[in-house]
Amino acid sequence: MEPSSTQWKGRPVRLREDLRFSTGRGTYVDDMKFPDTLHVALLRSVHPHARIVSVDMSEALAMPGVVCGLTGEDVARMTKPLRSLVPIPVALDAYCLAYGKVTHVGEPVAAILAESRYLAEDALEKIRVEYEPLPAAVDPEVAMEPAAPLLFESMGTNVMWQDRFDYGDTDAAFARAAHVFKKRFYIQRYSSTALETFGCTAVYDDHREQLTVWSNDQRPGQAMPIVAHSLGLTHAQIRFVTPDVGGGFGNKRKAHYLIIAALLSKLSGGRPVHYLEDRRENLMALIHACNGVMDLEAALDEDGHILGMKVRDVADEGANVLNPTVHSILKLGNLTNCYRIPVVRYEVNSVMTNKCPSGANRGIGKPFMCLAMERMMDYVARQLGMDPIELRRRNLVPPDAMPYTGPSGALIDSGDFNGTLDKLLPLIDYQDFLREQREARAQGRYLGIGIAIGLEPSTSNQSAYILSSGRRNASGSAEAAMVRVEHDGSILVLLGDVGSGQGHETAAAQIVADELGVAMDGVRVSPFFDSAVTPWLYATGNYSNKFAGTDVGAILGAARKVRDKLLELAAHLLQEPVENLELAEGGVRARDRHGHRKTLAELAFVAYRDLLSLPRGMEPGLEGRFYYSSDLANVPDENRRVRNQLFASNAAHGVIVEVDPDTGGVTILKYGVVHDCGTVLNSAIVEGLVQGATAHGIGAALYEEFDYDAEGNLKSTTFVDYLKPTAVEIPDVRMDHLVTPSPYTPLGMKGVGEGGAIPAPAAICNAVENALEPLGCTFDHLPLTPERVWAEIEKARASK
Amino acid sequence: MEPELTDDRTDRRIISVTVNGRRCTADVDVRKTLADFLREDAGFTGVHVGCEHGVCGACSVLMDGQVVRSCILFSVQADGHEIVTVEGLGDEDALNPLQQAFVEHHALQCGFCTPGMLLAAVDLLKHCPDPTETQVREALSGNLCMCTGYANIVRAVRAAAPHVRSG
Repeated sequence: MEPSSTQWKGRPVRLREDLRFSTGRGTYVDDMKFPDTLHVALLRSVHPHARIVSVDMSEALAMPGVVCGLTGEDVARMTKPLRSLVPIPVALDAYCLAYGKVTHVGEPVAAILAESRYLAEDALEKIRVEYEPLPAAVDPEVAMEPAAPLLFESMGTNVMWQDRFDYGDTDAAFARAAHVFKKRFYIQRYSSTALETFGCTAVYDDHREQLTVWSNDQRPGQAMPIVAHSLGLTHAQIRFVTPDVGGGFGNKRKAHYLIIAALLSKLSGGRPVHYLEDRRENLMALIHACNGVMDLEAALDEDGHILGMKVRDVADEGANVLNPTVHSILKLGNLTNCYRIPVVRYEVNSVMTNKCPSGANRGIGKPFMCLAMERMMDYVARQLGMDPIELRRRNLVPPDAMPYTGPSGALIDSGDFNGTLDKLLPLIDYQDFLREQREARAQGRYLGIGIAIGLEPSTSNQSAYILSSGRRNASGSAEAAMVRVEHDGSILVLLGDVGSGQGHETAAAQIVADELGVAMDGVRVSPFFDSAVTPWLYATGNYSNKFAGTDVGAILGAARKVRDKLLELAAHLLQEPVENLELAEGGVRARDRHGHRKTLAELAFVAYRDLLSLPRGMEPGLEGRFYYSSDLANVPDENRRVRNQLFASNAAHGVIVEVDPDTGGVTILKYGVVHDCGTVLNSAIVEGLVQGATAHGIGAALYEEFDYDAEGNLKSTTFVDYLKPTAVEIPDVRMDHLVTPSPYTPLGMKGVGEGGAIPAPAAICNAVENALEPLGCTFDHLPLTPERVWAEIEKARASK
Repeated sequence: MEPELTDDRTDRRIISVTVNGRRCTADVDVRKTLADFLREDAGFTGVHVGCEHGVCGACSVLMDGQVVRSCILFSVQADGHEIVTVEGLGDEDALNPLQQAFVEHHALQCGFCTPGMLLAAVDLLKHCPDPTETQVREALSGNLCMCTGYANIVRAVRAAAPHVRSG
């Protein structure tokens, strides 16, 4: 592939989205309302687990302004069961509303359609539901036991997926080890809780048999087949539009609501139907990251080299019928983090419980994997009396081993992990800190430092789910885009992945401007995805940090189709050989800059209007559509090794904290990140995403938890009890970059977005333990709330 | 001034609110929130509703110059008052200095918290024209941003301060 010009790429140009958003002119799903729009309210389960004996809607349906309603019985009659994205062994009778039983608090039980949301919510209060409460499966390890209450009797177990991957002979490695260490780690339920909640507007035109859905769903490529299957429609009958999305982080996917809105629109004679979660519904029932338990065993030689590792993971999926095993699969990508560990055993337990369905959330499984690994490194170093940084350095994959394939088949395409660590230490004034810490300890103050390095694999390969489902439901990593020179020479770009705050409009414009030799202002990128006009595939959507890995390839491919045609057309019109021509300054000119040139408008005039001036046989129009599929994606081999994600960014995090021994409060004094996402297209975007993702990791480490009681009731359902960090808690992250371009992506870029959220919990937990080292406090559970930290301090003091 | 009854029922009122300098009269349900009134009746969809319980700050607007949360005020409480939403600060051709600074410092990603952040910052700079970093952070601590990790927002507000001062 010939190198592209770099007039716009690499420049931290201002984001064009920012102008629209800073003036309040974004168009989000809640703005997608039309005259005559009706509103949905959902009655949700108050029980973690119960049989539904009866649902009486009669009084509710007679309320003022109520148009119609739906129950589980209705949807079971009108729709087919939800089709799971990862085929599970037994078909579950799960529908868009609870049918027969409820499996978690907050599960939708009935829907009311009314003239306003106020009236719809009034009517909810008149629905009479008789429940027969059942014992709930809450703790995932207990839920695995044969006597546990079952979410789905037809499965005969709550264990959705149990497996063991032996990547090499771990037993032999452990047998010859000088040291073996074992430790158990936990992670809590949390979520990135985008500020805009999830929802949709649907118009079901029965007359034309056409459904249009506007939704902030992050994966229209997967929502489409689920909705079509449940409603018995073809894809050609559905138009799916994504407007501006107010943050996603993986959470915004729930086909249930789209199906409910479509059915209600149909029942109301085709009126527009709008549903948007309120915050409580969002926190109770959209998506949580799995909570989990992980047992790690590491075998080391005399010199601190890791010979092998055993991982036993229990992922608490909640009542996840739509998208199971994702957290378990994605841990394959950073199973050995940035370390050269030759053999690994990975035991998977993906378990259903009576909690909110789990699903994609910034990093998906990787934050827990990194937490366990990076906490383990500190633990092992302590046991061996080694410097934790030195222990890491001894085991890092060296730059000359790149590209490196780990034991699970995961690829690290590029990176210089020692290099990121080298840059991190001065960034956080490491040497000065060691002195400050000694002085502080002498004064009875508890300062601590925590380091964590994290691999940040991106660009999911759909083939990986063959491992959990045994079936080839999809394969590969891909995205699509369209570039068109319009009739007047202006340029329009459509993206399969329109983003949710990652600046895709700006980034795509930078790329296309360079390819077509125009100023960025001349490239308009649609902020909307529209399945009727945008090219798309099953992989289409905003997830997995895949912009660098596949979206760029799609944009370049589409732009180059148009570029090649422009050159061919200009060659014909100018009577010049193509190889003498180039695209620059808004047109095609001779490379030696002599002679005539043709502007894009002149070429477009011929391509769309003066058709008889086209070269013989040339198709009119100047449109390029490109479906990009990375040839790096593979299917699992005979040893079940697979590149489950394709390109690996990495980061080293260093954090200095102070712990108040009287309150248990943790204050972050300094936070440094050295990040490597390969070639940087726009540093404003990259730095914004690193800072923001780190804030998510800090939230998970110190504040956020969906807290369920022993019966399965959720105790944190508002932002008053589910605590998000504010501007006061999040420090200004000191940032530095290392650039090791990917040899496999079109522009050398690697993913950015999830990164900071992956190592941050480990770095902070390591720092708090380091601060409290004089007391010997250790922490198994997050978040490190003042209460939890204080309790450990008290325990440590009592035992002295 | 008592809102006027529209009919013999007690659950509706005709209210008149000045929004971004324009008078907006509507017959509303007394329980309608100010946020819903501003979005649905007045048409200012820059008012974003993020939590509906007064915590996230996305729906912040200025009422008679003071920052308030429009999701936990009833629209009847705004009857006869002056409201400024993000649309009233400036538009793409004539940005307010704070909006300009938000663009220059990439102080937003998804844009959902941005209107509330801007109005909270307007309120801060009115009372504290030259804030320290700590003062900015404290003043914005009632506004959640899930995307940016706040650093660029704090930078933008501080950068805008001298321009706001010089008016």
